[in-house]
Amino acid sequence: MFEGVDARSPVPLYEQIAARIRVAVAAREFAEGDALPSVRQLAASLRVNPATVVQAYRDLEREGFVEMRHGAGTFVRALPESKRTEERTRQARRLVRDLIAEAARMGIGVDALAEALRAELEQAHA
Amino acid sequence: MRNAIETRGLSYRAGSFELRDVELSVPAGSIYGFLGPNGAGKTTTIRLLLGMARPAGGAIRLLGHEVPAELPAALARIGYVPERPHVYGALTVAEAMRYHGAFWPDWDGAWADSLRRRFDLPADRRVSRLSKGETGKLLILLALGQRPELLVLDEPTDGLDPMVRRDVLTAVLDYVAETGATVFISSHLVHELERICDWVGVIDHGRLVAELPIDAFKSGVKRIRLAGAPPEPSDAPFTVLSRFDDGLATGETWVVRGWQDPMRQYFTGAGATVRDVVDLDLEEVFVELLRSSRHAVR
Repeated sequence: MFEGVDARSPVPLYEQIAARIRVAVAAREFAEGDALPSVRQLAASLRVNPATVVQAYRDLEREGFVEMRHGAGTFVRALPESKRTEERTRQARRLVRDLIAEAARMGIGVDALAEALRAELEQAHA
Repeated sequence: MRNAIETRGLSYRAGSFELRDVELSVPAGSIYGFLGPNGAGKTTTIRLLLGMARPAGGAIRLLGHEVPAELPAALARIGYVPERPHVYGALTVAEAMRYHGAFWPDWDGAWADSLRRRFDLPADRRVSRLSKGETGKLLILLALGQRPELLVLDEPTDGLDPMVRRDVLTAVLDYVAETGATVFISSHLVHELERICDWVGVIDHGRLVAELPIDAFKSGVKRIRLAGAPPEPSDAPFTVLSRFDDGLATGETWVVRGWQDPMRQYFTGAGATVRDVVDLDLEEVFVELLRSSRHAVR
């Protein structure tokens, strides 16, 4: 689930970690009440600074995804379906934003991109 | 205590090498990457901090203790892994652990032994017969066994294979997660530090070139590709580290520090077009910083 967390990316590591967990929660890989890995476990397994994991978990707590119980761990909170949908929409927008930026770098215009997207989607659903 | 390590105006001279006005502020609880090319003054700085060399001037505080006046009190709380092994080759691993542990008030023998097993170090193997990787693991084990509040690691993974590097870094991170200890780690292996540090200090030619939280360090520096006549950078709202025509694309490439997206206006106002703003990774930022600081000195 944390594959490809990339220190060289301009996206800070804590944001990358938080993003993976948001996706996992939205996709129901985590159920209500499930414990996230401990800060110590996750820091050691990703080989990142423990403070980075703490910051990711704090951000997730502030956004209502998880609850940090002192001394016990970090747990996934009950999420209304609307919040899951909202999160999926957010992720979809982000994917498209990245795509548009990459296309612009290659000199691909919006129309050509939209056309390519339509064709690929048709093929995917064929 | 806000800073685990603090130096003010730290200077040193030996032959033609000079360390000038190094001002480090290493926040307590941080993992601080001390970056610099070979010969920049990393090891010298560490030796000054730990009382192994005498500064020509300046002040040092370690864990709140004045150095050198209160050096023993500071050293009792510091684990140090030097660049070169300092363990007697004739001792076995177990003997080296007992010997080292005898010097440290907080030595945790049981924990050190569990680390030894985790590192696959045979207790009865002579230190002189350990491989380079095993020696590296033993040195980290000895420093961690002291249960230090501050770990000072001088190129701790230089020359070690990836498996050993991973074991060593994992053990350090695990200790930090448990204790909140501060880690000061010098290296020229930039990528290795990129994952684990929250602060970065860059030293070159005996001068501290930059000291910043890692996210600020990385995010503020961009490579900007421009088309059209670029304006003179004297009034720019950012610092131009370098500008060049790399011949790969039309127009110039600038590397700037302190970039924020609204600053695009600066270029459009001057009749230039920003074609692309590219993020740099830590190594590229490091290289650009050194390039510009050396240029400024000349």
